[in-house]
Amino acid sequence: MAGLSLGALPHFIYQPIWVAIIFIAMIFWRIMAIRHLWPLPTKQLSAFKLIHLAIAGIAFVLLFISYGNFIGRDAGVALLTVMLSLKVVEIRHHRDYYISCFLGYFLVVTNFFYSQTIPTALLMFIVVIIMTASLISLNDSKKSLSNKGLIKLASSMLLQAIPLMLLLFVLFPRIAGPLWGLPQDAHSGKSGIDDSMTLGKISQLILSDEIAFRVKFNDQIPAQSQLYWRGPVLWQTDGTTWTELNKRYLMSSRPDFTTSGDEYSYTITLEPHNKRWLFALDFPGELPLTPASHYTYDGQLRSIKPINQRQKIRLRSYTQFNLNPKQDDAINNALQLPDKLHPRTRQLAQTWLQQSSQPAELINKALAYFNQNDFYYTLTPPVLTGDSIDRFLFESRRGFCEHYAASFTVLMRAADVPARIVTGYLGGEINPVDGFLVVRQRDAHAWVEVWLQDQGWIRIDPTAAVSPQRIDHGISTIMPEGFNTPLLMANSRQLIDLWQAIRNNWDAFDNAWNQWILAYGPELQKEFLQKIGMTKPDWQTMALWLAMGFVLMSLMISFYLFYHRPHYDPVSQLYSTFCKKAARAGCVRPKQQGPLDFATALKQHYPHLSQQIDHITELYINLHFGKQTVSVSDLRLAIKQFKFTASN
Amino acid sequence: MPHNDIEHILNAINAVIVGKKTPVKLALSCLLAGGHLLIEDLPGVGKTTLAHTLAKTLGLSFQRIQFTSDMLPADILGVAIFNRDTHEFSLHKGPIFTQLILADEVNRATPRTQSALLEAMEEHQITIENQTYDLPEPFFIIATQNPSNQIGTFPLPESQLDRFLMRIELGYPDAQAERELLLGQDRRQLVHDLTAAINSDQLKVLQDAVSKVHVSSALIDYIQTILAYTRDSGQFVYGLSPRAGIALLRAAQAWALIAHHQQVLPEDVQAVLPNVIAHRLHLRVDNANGDFITDLINAIAIP
Repeated sequence: MAGLSLGALPHFIYQPIWVAIIFIAMIFWRIMAIRHLWPLPTKQLSAFKLIHLAIAGIAFVLLFISYGNFIGRDAGVALLTVMLSLKVVEIRHHRDYYISCFLGYFLVVTNFFYSQTIPTALLMFIVVIIMTASLISLNDSKKSLSNKGLIKLASSMLLQAIPLMLLLFVLFPRIAGPLWGLPQDAHSGKSGIDDSMTLGKISQLILSDEIAFRVKFNDQIPAQSQLYWRGPVLWQTDGTTWTELNKRYLMSSRPDFTTSGDEYSYTITLEPHNKRWLFALDFPGELPLTPASHYTYDGQLRSIKPINQRQKIRLRSYTQFNLNPKQDDAINNALQLPDKLHPRTRQLAQTWLQQSSQPAELINKALAYFNQNDFYYTLTPPVLTGDSIDRFLFESRRGFCEHYAASFTVLMRAADVPARIVTGYLGGEINPVDGFLVVRQRDAHAWVEVWLQDQGWIRIDPTAAVSPQRIDHGISTIMPEGFNTPLLMANSRQLIDLWQAIRNNWDAFDNAWNQWILAYGPELQKEFLQKIGMTKPDWQTMALWLAMGFVLMSLMISFYLFYHRPHYDPVSQLYSTFCKKAARAGCVRPKQQGPLDFATALKQHYPHLSQQIDHITELYINLHFGKQTVSVSDLRLAIKQFKFTASN
Repeated sequence: MPHNDIEHILNAINAVIVGKKTPVKLALSCLLAGGHLLIEDLPGVGKTTLAHTLAKTLGLSFQRIQFTSDMLPADILGVAIFNRDTHEFSLHKGPIFTQLILADEVNRATPRTQSALLEAMEEHQITIENQTYDLPEPFFIIATQNPSNQIGTFPLPESQLDRFLMRIELGYPDAQAERELLLGQDRRQLVHDLTAAINSDQLKVLQDAVSKVHVSSALIDYIQTILAYTRDSGQFVYGLSPRAGIALLRAAQAWALIAHHQQVLPEDVQAVLPNVIAHRLHLRVDNANGDFITDLINAIAIP
């Protein structure tokens, strides 16, 4: 029952509160019944039976109200949890205990629908041990084991199962995606960068410490200010919200590009975000092997299917790239501005345009405008109402990346320079423990790309003009002091460092778990198997290896058992044959009984066989305890001929 | 023949000590194994008579020492006395210089006096004024002790208890035996009239026969398992000493000889086990109603 409760515990987080209430109430009922304080529902119709049925009915109604049906991950698990708790109260026979235990195991599996982290795995391992212990205790009718003994036996049984587990883990053929189709609602509620941007939206992300992805660079790591992880590209605006280019353009053509400069190859481990973007470093130009993906016209790297499980992506990026240098229709979209909005901004742009029509100079003017006026970088800007761009540029002048990116884009477009917003992540933190670059949601960033004739799209980061720190040293330098650390520790530098170290180590461990255990999909399996010498890792070969592994393991176990079998000398073996004969006849020799005493006991039951019993006992004593003056064959013969016959 | 001698001895003793066949057998096997015997029981159940009878039938010289709380070692061992005629110290031998000593109520003496027996028991020799004297052979001590909850007792320390091969209890006689006691002759007269069943040479032969009873490796396994159990089971404060192991084997051999076995059987070990080990073990948790020796026997499989 403790196992069931522990197993159900994580579900309480994901399930409506009433599931937990019913579960705890049922467990409490059972405990009170064990203490003989409360009665249990009986088989016949009675008040308690009715209460039990009523709770079941209420549970069904609540389930239906909460989920509308009984299908789907959440509803299914809720149903299982509630029904299991009701079953606990109803346990009457051995069979019911078994059912509860096995359902408990199933409950353990369902936990992994929600979370596959190390703590969950550890907790579930404990639950499995307790479940196994209760199974053992069910079969231990004599109650010969204490609770401690049960746990010990269960743990050792499970530990012995580990080699088999490893074998299956490594060799069982993997298929892409989860083994069973997870219901549609399985991936809801993932946070991350969106395909539209409204001023003030990224600010929620910035407060999120969640990991967006991890990157392992094969050799050198580019400078912090070069780590632009490119996500959605936003073109269209209605004055406050920015959205992507319409599908027609986006999908119609491939980007036209050339890449040059230093090459960086790296592997991204992307956390599931339920969207299609693969956040590549700038613009890699080539497609990764997995997942199946493509480039949109504006250079977004997108997966064919939404990323709803952790995904490894291998890529190669270059420091310089030249994207869509030729003019085409779509570029007009980069000049689009909502009619009649941002009059002051347009005016400012017009004054610049009168001074110079060179796009490069216009860009510099705009950057200088940000730099020389009293713009501040802050994560908590005032809320902008009305014409947000105008108000930001001329009044509040407080904001962060998206404010600068949006207003810069508007300025550029007003000055007839094609511009678009790119969102994604900037920077990341190197974990010194395992060398992975960790990019969190708070590293989310927005910047601008402007199109220049012959040079294509060029990245301009207006935030750099205001807060170069953000670009060069990452977001954490401008975070409020004490952010991310428990409040009490914020005073002591040492404690913060310690906290940081613990966090780094844990994160590295967690990452290793992700990289090797959870990410062990078809590709990693293939790679690993090739490394250990399997030339053609298809499923037939894997099945063959699996079978060979099983055979090898059973051979090893048989050899072990063979070498550790009890060593009996022939005399003892013969005597035990004799004892077995006696046992079949109804006289069991207690293990502590000597041969003479046993003979006496036998003779009481079979007085007519006294002579033979004495003869056998005498021979045995002589051979086993005596000077071995008689031969073993005499004993063999005597025992062979001996039969327990009833006296006539 | 050894067996005839043993029958003689047993018959002679059982004529005097009625209804106590098993304790008598145990006592005899203890002496045949060359060990000292501790009899623990209430006064008046025949401890002294048993000791006296054993001495008589085995043809041994006999001395009884009544232990009291004001007794000194010299009262047992003897003293060196200056002889004026020879101008030398000469030993005035104490009662210890006897083949069979009945140390009556040994736990009434002070520890100092009790320990005077130690060297005598283990080495069959005593030391007075740096002079070592051999004791007569064979040399036995039969000590009696009152149950330790009686007043005026100094319990024997473990080191001293370990030197007794066996501890036996006599217990009250059953109705039939009691009737015989009441109706029969005076025991003291009976003991007085006893003649030796064997002489000391024959006793030596018997003792040699004990050590020659065959011991198989299977039996040694059994004894070792018992020793290991007392050390490892966690039930006892201390496990059995190697000396206790040897004692167990010797006692089992003697028992086998008395039981006419050609070899030592596990049954022989089991027969003497309670009397050999009970006084050497202390339960960690004292459960008065549990028979821990039976538990121990039941826990160990015979190889």
